[in-house]
Amino acid sequence: MEAGKSDNATTSAIWIALVICAGLSVVVWFASPKGPDRLVWRSVLIGSIICMYLMWMITYMAQLHPLIAPKRSDLRAEAFHHGGVSL
Amino acid sequence: MASEQETILRSADMTMVQLFTPSEQAREVVTALGEVGLVHFRDLNGNVNSFQRTYTAQLRRLDNLERQLRYFHSHMVKANVPVRKIDLDIERIASPTPLEIDDLAERSQALEARITELNESYETLKKREIEYLEWRHVLREAGRFFDRAHGNVEEIRQSMDVDDAPLLEDVEQQLQGGEAQDRSFTGMNIGFVAGVINREKMESFERILWRSLRGNLYMNQAEILEDLVDPKDNSKVQKNVFVIFANGRELLNKIRKISESMGADLYKVDENSDLRRDQIHEVNNRLNDVQNVLQNTQQTLEAELSQIAQALAGWLILVAKEKAVYDTLNNFSYDKTRRTLIAEAWVPSQDLPLIRSALNDVNMRAGHSVPSIISEVTTGKTPPTYLRTNKFTEAFQTIINAYGTCTYKEVNPALPSLVTFPFLFAVMFGDVGHAFIMLMTALALIFWENKLKKVREEIFGMIFYGRYIMFMMAAYSVFTGFIYNDIFSLPMTIFPSAWHYEPSEDYIAGHMIEAKLNTDGYRYPIGLDWNWHGTENSLVFTNSLKMKLSILIGWCHMTFSLCLMIPNARFFKKPIDLWGVFLPSMIFFQAIFGYLVIAILYKWGVNWIAEEEPAPGLLNMLIYMFLSPGTIDQPLYSGQSPVQQILVLLAVIQVPAILLAKPLFLRWEHNKARSKGYRGIGEGGVVHHAMDDVDDDEQEMLNDRQSVDTLDAAAGVQGVAGASVSGEGEGSEHEEFDFGEMMIHQAIHTIEFCLNCISHTASYLRLWALSLAHQQLSIVLWSMTLGSTLNGSGTGSPIVNGIIIFVMAGFWLGASIAVLVGMEGISAMLHSLRLQWVEAQSKYAHFEGWPFQPLNLTSLVEESEELRDFVE
Repeated sequence: MEAGKSDNATTSAIWIALVICAGLSVVVWFASPKGPDRLVWRSVLIGSIICMYLMWMITYMAQLHPLIAPKRSDLRAEAFHHGGVSL
Repeated sequence: MASEQETILRSADMTMVQLFTPSEQAREVVTALGEVGLVHFRDLNGNVNSFQRTYTAQLRRLDNLERQLRYFHSHMVKANVPVRKIDLDIERIASPTPLEIDDLAERSQALEARITELNESYETLKKREIEYLEWRHVLREAGRFFDRAHGNVEEIRQSMDVDDAPLLEDVEQQLQGGEAQDRSFTGMNIGFVAGVINREKMESFERILWRSLRGNLYMNQAEILEDLVDPKDNSKVQKNVFVIFANGRELLNKIRKISESMGADLYKVDENSDLRRDQIHEVNNRLNDVQNVLQNTQQTLEAELSQIAQALAGWLILVAKEKAVYDTLNNFSYDKTRRTLIAEAWVPSQDLPLIRSALNDVNMRAGHSVPSIISEVTTGKTPPTYLRTNKFTEAFQTIINAYGTCTYKEVNPALPSLVTFPFLFAVMFGDVGHAFIMLMTALALIFWENKLKKVREEIFGMIFYGRYIMFMMAAYSVFTGFIYNDIFSLPMTIFPSAWHYEPSEDYIAGHMIEAKLNTDGYRYPIGLDWNWHGTENSLVFTNSLKMKLSILIGWCHMTFSLCLMIPNARFFKKPIDLWGVFLPSMIFFQAIFGYLVIAILYKWGVNWIAEEEPAPGLLNMLIYMFLSPGTIDQPLYSGQSPVQQILVLLAVIQVPAILLAKPLFLRWEHNKARSKGYRGIGEGGVVHHAMDDVDDDEQEMLNDRQSVDTLDAAAGVQGVAGASVSGEGEGSEHEEFDFGEMMIHQAIHTIEFCLNCISHTASYLRLWALSLAHQQLSIVLWSMTLGSTLNGSGTGSPIVNGIIIFVMAGFWLGASIAVLVGMEGISAMLHSLRLQWVEAQSKYAHFEGWPFQPLNLTSLVEESEELRDFVE
């Protein structure tokens, strides 16, 4: 991701999360209870980690360098003082 | 492989065994093996019709016994006697000895006779009771007619003489002239018929009488107010009493005949009022007697039935098990000279010791001089597919089995589906609120599973069966809802947003304003920034995100599924599947869609606004990559044109590779083997498989003895002959090599694969469509009910507002659960099911197996529809 140079959006989070997920997977691999269901434990837990990482990574990356910005016309003036948005 | 622990990855190793058992011991042996529940007996008498099999007589007897038990049950239902149900978790029904079955049969015979007798006498008595009741009504009503009619004999006579006279002039008026009371009907030769008829038939009865007698009658009728009981089916009927007067014996006879043919019951009524009084008296007395006897009979019958009701469920279960055992025994081959039964069965190799020990137990118990023997057989038949499950994987396996039975030992699609199926569901169902409701339901079902499994309600049973799937789906949905930042369609502002609004000095509320991204590189850490919620262009952003998300997830799912070809190819030792099919398929897929995925990620990684370049459309890029290779409209990166040209070329080359590599390699291998002088076992000469399909083929029949001899030799078993063998779905493994067929097969596969790569990728867009629909629907529901209520200024009165909010909240919650959790959940599940069945499984699974169906006496009882009323 050489694009990270041009602005300072945090791409490192993607790699950090990947390392964490990989570490978790390794832990799960060895921590799964022994027995005939070991494969079930491993596949479900590691599968979940992979899927959840993917899902998070995709939404995170989609917002890295947004091409459009949120627009709204229903804001009241006092909303800005609280730093939030009233619905 | 057998030494390794068996897992869910592949179906269990199966062994074919032969079982030799002396015929007097066979029943116990099969019962014991049936209790173990891991032996799939093959039908060795496929060519013998079911009436000619060895144990037909025993089965007939059991059928009769079952019929008797059902007969008792039908009487219990009729008499409202409750049947004691059996709780299979608490009561274990031991397998019966033959003596017990004989006892039961005898007892049941006697009971049937007794019940029939009691029932018959009950019915006769009941019929008599009704007759007396009707007679009493006739006497009463007819008495009233007579009292009235005596007053106007003249009138009647006139009406009979003159055709056009009214049938009955004002009766009340005539009654007032009370002098004619003494005159009798007999004097004018008028007779009468009295009886009872169904109320519905009354009208047609009247009409028929009128027509056939040409109006020469005088009819009186009255409704019986109380309902009478029809003894045939205990239903209630309404009846009318009628009295018909007519002139002359012939006419009266005619009336009688017509009444009887119309189903009316005629009763004798005396004309004289004194005699009639006596009659009523007598009828009343008899009625009392009959009712007393009737009550006694009913009590005896009910006592008898409630005694049977205590044991009925147990008996029915015994009979069902016994029938299953004899049905199995009928599949055995019987050696008359040695009085020995020979069976062939598939058993999981791992459970062979268990089965042997069960058999030993029977041998020890029986203490026969000739023990039952079980011996392993080597065979060329395809073993059945037996996929072991636990309570977590069971429902997932059922989903896969609903599609088909996996080939023996191929990678079980249920394993990846444990994660992918619920996760794909969650991508479509992402909403923390709805998922939480579902999660709580699933957890409740799991927490109280021991209690709830007794509930025998059909829809609930289905939901309960899928409770672990539901748990997984809901748990993932909580996560995806968190990523989509949706809780009941509202955003969660957990982390600070990356966006903020900076109004200019002259900002007027209500004008469009665009948010600004922060400059210190902060991005919303988990999920979708809540500032996108409710904005005017939120759909533009989320649609782009969700569409790409679908493609990326679809690509991962399909690549992973495609990779499952590797363990299959390695396990079945078909390297050509790896190099000739998997590799080119993978290159083809990655050259097109892998490239798209990389392009999507790359495009996200580039700051297009800072670079001051237009962001290229990826869809057009992919389309023009094929339509006009080499021309780039809007460049994504430098050197894009040659890369795309190479990729297209790479993809196109793979098509002939997939098409030709495998068939040509197999042909080459086949020819090489032949040139060395090897022949397929099936080629030339008579087929001598150890176990051949008989298929009503006479040639095969002749070969039977011969083939069994080979079989015995192979099994190392001496001196047993006469077992004829057949199979179901277990084709032999030696197929003749046919290049043409192979080519056609591969051509179809190639075309299918290439087209499917495109259509399946597009198919994953359903993830986007459904999650969009789910979100929009919940937004609409919120804004139309609670949202508008909470936002509105209200009427001012807090009580009224409170009531409105309460009602709206109820409606919103109800609709949320019914529509958004229930119906949307079902729809998302069906879409996820399709992605599992079609998009994933078509990549690697063949589904050419046949299911392992062991004789299991325990599950037989649990799953039987017929025993459902008797089992708790």
